[in-house]
Amino acid sequence: MSGTVLLECEDLVKVFPGVRALDGVGLRLTAGSVHALLGENGAGKSTLIKVLTGVHSPDGGRLTWNGQQVHLRSPLEATRTGIGVVHQERNLIPDFSVAENITLQNPPSHRGLVDREAMTAPAVACLAELGVDLDPQRPVRELSVAQQQLVEIAKALYTESRVLLLDEPTASLSPQETERLFEVIRRLAARGACVVFVSHKLEEVFEVCDTVTVLRDGKSVLESSPLADHTHDDIVGLMVGRAHAATEMRPRTVDHTATPTLVLDKVSTAGGHRDISLEVRPGEIVGLYGLVGAGRSELVKAVLGLDRITGGEVRVHGSPVRITSPRQALHEYGIGYVTENRKEEGVFLEQPIVRNITVTVWKRLAKALGFVSAREERDVAQDLVDRLGIRVTGLGQNAGELSGGNQQKVSLAKWLAADTKLLVIDEPTVGVDVRTKRAFHELIWDLARDGLPILLISSDLAEMVTLADRIVVMTDHRIRGELDNDRDYDRMSGRVIRLIHDRDAVRS
Amino acid sequence: MNRLNVTLSQGSWGGSALRRFSRSTAAMLLCVVVVGYVALGIASSGSFFEGPSVRVFLQYLATPILIGLAQMVALCVGQLNLAVGALGGFTACLMGVLMADHGVPAGVTVIVGLLTATAIGLATGVAIVGTQINGFIVTLATMTILLGAQYRLTGTRTVDGYSRTLRDFGTAAPLNIPLVFVTALVAAALLAAFMYRTVAGRRLLAAGGNPLAARLSGISTDRQIVAAHTLSGLLIGVAAVTATASLPGVNRSVGGDWLLPSFAAPIIGGVALTGGSIAVLGTVLAAFVTRLIDAARAQFSLDPSWVNLLIGLVVLGTVAGGRLHQTRLEKSATTDGAVLPQTGGAQ
Repeated sequence: MSGTVLLECEDLVKVFPGVRALDGVGLRLTAGSVHALLGENGAGKSTLIKVLTGVHSPDGGRLTWNGQQVHLRSPLEATRTGIGVVHQERNLIPDFSVAENITLQNPPSHRGLVDREAMTAPAVACLAELGVDLDPQRPVRELSVAQQQLVEIAKALYTESRVLLLDEPTASLSPQETERLFEVIRRLAARGACVVFVSHKLEEVFEVCDTVTVLRDGKSVLESSPLADHTHDDIVGLMVGRAHAATEMRPRTVDHTATPTLVLDKVSTAGGHRDISLEVRPGEIVGLYGLVGAGRSELVKAVLGLDRITGGEVRVHGSPVRITSPRQALHEYGIGYVTENRKEEGVFLEQPIVRNITVTVWKRLAKALGFVSAREERDVAQDLVDRLGIRVTGLGQNAGELSGGNQQKVSLAKWLAADTKLLVIDEPTVGVDVRTKRAFHELIWDLARDGLPILLISSDLAEMVTLADRIVVMTDHRIRGELDNDRDYDRMSGRVIRLIHDRDAVRS
Repeated sequence: MNRLNVTLSQGSWGGSALRRFSRSTAAMLLCVVVVGYVALGIASSGSFFEGPSVRVFLQYLATPILIGLAQMVALCVGQLNLAVGALGGFTACLMGVLMADHGVPAGVTVIVGLLTATAIGLATGVAIVGTQINGFIVTLATMTILLGAQYRLTGTRTVDGYSRTLRDFGTAAPLNIPLVFVTALVAAALLAAFMYRTVAGRRLLAAGGNPLAARLSGISTDRQIVAAHTLSGLLIGVAAVTATASLPGVNRSVGGDWLLPSFAAPIIGGVALTGGSIAVLGTVLAAFVTRLIDAARAQFSLDPSWVNLLIGLVVLGTVAGGRLHQTRLEKSATTDGAVLPQTGGAQ
C-alpha cells in the first residue's frame, strides 16, 4: 500500500496580478508518508495548497491523481477526490455547534431534516481520535482559539481523505496538543494516507515528517526528497537562499549618543506581550524578527493605540506618552505605520494614486473650510512618485491596478508625504519579486541614511541581515534577545535561529 | 410560544440549552414582556387583562411578527430587505383589488397573493446574485417599483368591498385569541423548525455565518441568497394576508410603516446584522415589546411620537448591550489565548 503515488503535480503555475505566486512547482505525494512543505512567508505554500484543494485553478502545469490527470474545479470536487485540508484561515461557522461544524461537508440527514443525533457520534469519534474532550453541542463561538483549531482538524478527519493537507495546524496549539496531533498524523500515514504538513517550526517538521519539499519564490527548490538526507541547516539554507544575502549599500552610521526616537520600556499589552523593551535611534534600522504568530505586528498596533498597553512605558523623543489612536500617533508624534496587509489596510484600492498618497497630509494642505487644492495635492504626489520610482500611467490611476510592489511603494509614499519622524515598516517585501525587493531595500536603506529611524518587521531573515543594524528576536509575545548585525548572513542566521530554538539557553 | 421553546430545547442536551436560554436575549425579552404586561394591567386597574383588550392587543401583533421574521430571514444570510413594506402593501392591495373588483374568491386570492409575494422575493434574489449588485440597492429599487405598482392598483381610493370570508378570518378569535395571531405563531414555529432542523435551513445559516467556510464545504452562497429572499417574500405574503384580513380596507398607505419595525424586531431580538444568526423567539418577543409600547401609549393617551422615541431607544439599548457583552466575551477569550502560548514557551 505504501509507496504508491497518490497525488502528483508538475510544473504548476499560478499567476496573481503583479506576482507569479507559483512558478513551476513539482510535488509527489506517496501513500504512507508524512510530507513537509516548507518555505518562507510568500514562497507560495498556501497558494499551492489552495491549488491542490480546488480553491484556485492553476494557470499551467498538470495534476494527476492515482496516475490520471484531474482538474479540481471546486473545493467540493477536491474533497470527493479524497483531498482534505485544514486551511490557515478560520473556516468554522461561529454559531453552529462543534458537531455540526465537523460534519458540515456532509451532514447526516434524513429526508431533508438534519439528524442531530447521528451528527454527534462521528463528531465525538473524530474528537476522540485527537484526544480532545469537547461538548459536541457547544457553539464554536464559545471555544478558545486552540480548541477551534482542533475542531478544524477534526473536521478534516471526518472527510476520511487519502491526502490530508495541514497548513500551519500547530500555530495555536500547546505542546501536548501538538504531540497528540503528531500521533494522529503517524496513525493516518500508517493506514496508507499521505499527510502534508506545513509548519514554520523546523523541530516539528523533523519530528513528524519523512519527505520534504521546499519552495522559494514560487519555485520548488527541493522536490519530494527524503528528509533524513538533510540537516536543519541545509533546509534553512534552501528556504532562504544564500545567494542574495550580501548586498552592497552605501555606508551608513548610527549616532549611538542621540536620544532614541522611540523607547519601549518593559511594555506589556492586553494581547499577551510581556516585558518588551526596545529602542530605535535616529538613522537606525531596528529589525524585529520572529515567526508568524510571534506577536510582532500586534505589538506595533498596541503601541499605535489599536490595542491596550497594560504595563510599562512608551517614550517618544524622550518623554513618556500615551497613544490612543493611529491618528494621534501620526499627527502628534509623527509615527507612520506601513502595514503588512497592504490590500486590506495599506491602500485604498478603488481610489486614485494621488488621493492614496495625500490622505495623510490633507490637514496640512487644507485651507479655509477644509478645501484642499487639487494642484498642491498633485505636486506632493508627483514628487513622491518620482522619488520612489513608482511605475504608474498617471496620478489618476487607481491603486488597485498597480502591481504588489508598486502598491507597497504607494503605501510607503503616503507616510513620507506626512514627514514622519519614525517609520514602522511591516513585512515590506512579502509576495514581491526579487528585483522589486532589491529596489525596496535600497529605498529603506536610504531613508535611514537621511536620518529617519525605522522599525522593520520581517520574517525574511535575509532581508533582516541586509537592512537592520540590530535584530531583536521575538517569539511567543516575548523578546528572546537582541543581536548586533554584522551583515554576515551565515553567521547571523545561525545566531538568530539559535535564539529562537534554544530558548532556555538565552533566558539564563 | 410554548411550541417554539420546545423546538429550541429539544433533544438530549435540554439541560444545557435551558441554561443557555436563561442568559439569552429571548429570556430577557420574555421578562420585559411579562413585567410590562402586568404593569399595564395594574395601571389600567385590570381592564387590560380582560378578553376584549387581550384580543385587540394580539390582533395587531400578527403583522409586526411576520414582517420581523421576513427581515430576519434576509439578515441571516447577511442581506437587507428594504422592500418589506412595499411588497406587503402591494400584495395586500393586489388581493383587495382581485376580490373587490374582479370577484375572485378569498381562497384563490390568498394563494395568488402568497405566490406573487414569493415570486417577487425570488426575482429580487436572482437579480442580486445575477448582477452582483449590493442587496441594499436592489431591494431599494424593488421597493420603489412596488410602491409605484401599489399606487397604480388602488390610486387614492380605499378598497374595502371585499370578501366576507377573509374578514371573518381576520376578526375570528376563539377564546379571545385572534386567528391571525395564531397564523403568525404557526409561521414562526414552522420557520424555527426549518431553520434549526432542515438541511436547507442550516445551509442558509452556514452561508451567513462564514461565507468562505460555507463555500469551501460545497455550499453555494449565491443559492442561499436567492433562497433567503424567496422565503422572505413568502413571509411578507403571509403578513399581507393577515393585514388585509384585519384592516377595514386596503389603500396605498398599507405597508408604509412596516420597514422600520421589520428591522427593529430582529435587532432587538438578538439577530446580528452581519448574518449567520437567527432568533425566531427573540424576534417574536421583540414584536411583543414594541406592541406593548404602543398599547401603553393608548392606555395613557400619550403623544404618538413617544412610541417612535421609545422604540428607537430600545433598539439602541439592545444593540449597545449586545456590543458590551461581546466585548466582555472577547476579553475573556484573549486572556485564554494569552495563557496558552505561555505554557508552550516554558516547555
